[in-house]
Amino acid sequence: MTQVLLDMLVTGLPLVPVFLGIYTVFRLRADFDLTVEGSFVSGGAVCALALVHGWPSWLALLAGTGGAAAAGAVTALIHLLLRVPVLLAGLVMSIGLFSVNLHVLDTPTVSLGTVGTMFSGFGSLSGRQADLATSGVMAGVVAVVLAAFGLFLRTELGLALRATGVNARMARSQGVNDRRLTVLALVLANGLAGLGASLTVQYQGYADVNMGAGTFVAGVGAVLLGELFVRPSGSKLLRIVGCVLVGTLAYRLVLVGALRVGLPAGDLRGVTALTLLVAIAAERYLGALGGLARTLTRNARSATAPARQEAA
Amino acid sequence: MLRLDDIDLIYNPGRVDEVVALRNLSVTFERGQFVTVVGTNGAGKSSLIQTISGAARPTRGRIHLDGRDVTRLPDHRRAGWIARVFDDPRAGTAPELSIEDNLALAMARGRARGLRFAVTTRRRAVMREHVAGLGLGLENRLADRVGLLSAGQRQSLTMVMAALSAPSVLLLDEHLAALDPGTTATVLALTTELVRELGATTVMVTHNMDHALALGDRLLVMSRGRVIADYDGTEKSEMTVGGLIDRITGAGDAVSDRSALVEKVTS
Ligand SMILES: Nc1ncnc2c1ncn2[C@@H]1O[C@H](COP(=O)(O)OP(=O)(O)OP(=O)(O)O)[C@@H](O)[C@H]1O
Ligand SMILES: [Mg+2]
Repeated sequence: MTQVLLDMLVTGLPLVPVFLGIYTVFRLRADFDLTVEGSFVSGGAVCALALVHGWPSWLALLAGTGGAAAAGAVTALIHLLLRVPVLLAGLVMSIGLFSVNLHVLDTPTVSLGTVGTMFSGFGSLSGRQADLATSGVMAGVVAVVLAAFGLFLRTELGLALRATGVNARMARSQGVNDRRLTVLALVLANGLAGLGASLTVQYQGYADVNMGAGTFVAGVGAVLLGELFVRPSGSKLLRIVGCVLVGTLAYRLVLVGALRVGLPAGDLRGVTALTLLVAIAAERYLGALGGLARTLTRNARSATAPARQEAA
Repeated sequence: MLRLDDIDLIYNPGRVDEVVALRNLSVTFERGQFVTVVGTNGAGKSSLIQTISGAARPTRGRIHLDGRDVTRLPDHRRAGWIARVFDDPRAGTAPELSIEDNLALAMARGRARGLRFAVTTRRRAVMREHVAGLGLGLENRLADRVGLLSAGQRQSLTMVMAALSAPSVLLLDEHLAALDPGTTATVLALTTELVRELGATTVMVTHNMDHALALGDRLLVMSRGRVIADYDGTEKSEMTVGGLIDRITGAGDAVSDRSALVEKVTS
């Protein structure tokens, strides 16, 4: 059981920034950006290349973030200059980036071998201790990312970003330049994807040109799953980061559990799709049940601690 | 001073579905003037509002605000000087966001938005003060989602938001249309109070002939993209609802359903 949880953490924590980016576009902007399928690989590829060229691991992490963010900027440019929906711009990018990524990597898979990564110091530890140390470092990075993102959402710029997704006309009439915010959202979302990809690459020790496939659907599934547990809304910022964290880990728990019970790795995409469906179905049909459960627990809580306000 | 010179606004120019919304329109609004605008459906009233706000770019003509040519500035760049209240109470606020977030969004209007916190203790105090004036108790509900408010409350909030950054032009496009009679009276009182307080040039579009005559110091009648009558304060005060409707219908337009309805209700 402990091993399942550790597996969940080491494979799930790197995805938290990625899915936070997906949340940014999917929920805060109410849009779909498929660029992430390609930019996730771009970020990982740039990071792997930087490491192979002897860059320090944290710099490689930033390089991977920047590489993927650049992909997001291109998507934004396509969207704005050609006046096509973000969905289409991202689709084109996700296809085109495959070739770009292959050129960056030069071979379909680049192994890091003995190159030093953020986690290579843990090689001498036993399996479980190494996992613990690894997830500790990842948790640190993820905590910083989530906190920084939460704080960003509270700024004037972050507020403007949240407003454009809900009511773009109103945002413009309040002086918000929503074209600029589209660029910001796409750069931010893909940069976060690159950061997560860099963490993944450093942990698993290789970058692969196919490592991004299914990221978008997985992210949407995780977000929907998270929303079942934590009800986020536009102004409840703690819940937004909480939703992404809980959703990502729950999603990874399902996958890790599926592997544990002996499902072949090839079935994982099927499990991802099923998770997505179950999350949607639960939202549709158990929404009322969930609401009831929440009301009951809230009442129970307020009965014991009447002065306590509902958490932000 | 707000000046529109020879404005044409044509939707889908050169296509079969071409619509001329404004035709050769020239009008000057003096600083602080409160102007009401009436006209049938499709007369171009909303087009006028959108042209002033920058939401629609005129096909021809220039717009000057306080001596500055703003013709090419998009709506978000004019927002520092020009505030708008829409006819749909849902349009002026972000329902998913809290009351304080909506107000904070309006507070930053006309300034560059950066990495300062949007809601601070000091700003919250200013917000409280502003919404307390509404007498709706919203000052104690700042963290509530705006989606929980009634249409009248939301429209009142939008009015407060419009006033927050002291605009020099206030645009009201049928902002009372979706409200019940009681709420209409409340928001109307708020409107006159804000207009007086702000001293902003105000353009108010309405289908209510009583409002059009009772409020403001100038009245424009629009038809087919033009201003067909322009009454100053004294002329307006001598006008009757019947006379005004005659003036609108006299232009060859059928009086709008809503005006007729108001006429029936009021007479
Ligand atoms: N986005 C648009 N595309 C095409 N035509 C438009 C558009 N907006 C308005 N029009 C047309 O422009 C003309 C003027 O419309 P406008 O909305 O200004 O009228 P209005 O006076 O506000 O009418 P109402 O009293 O119904 O609000 C109408 O014929 C309308 O069909
Ligand atoms: Mg209109």
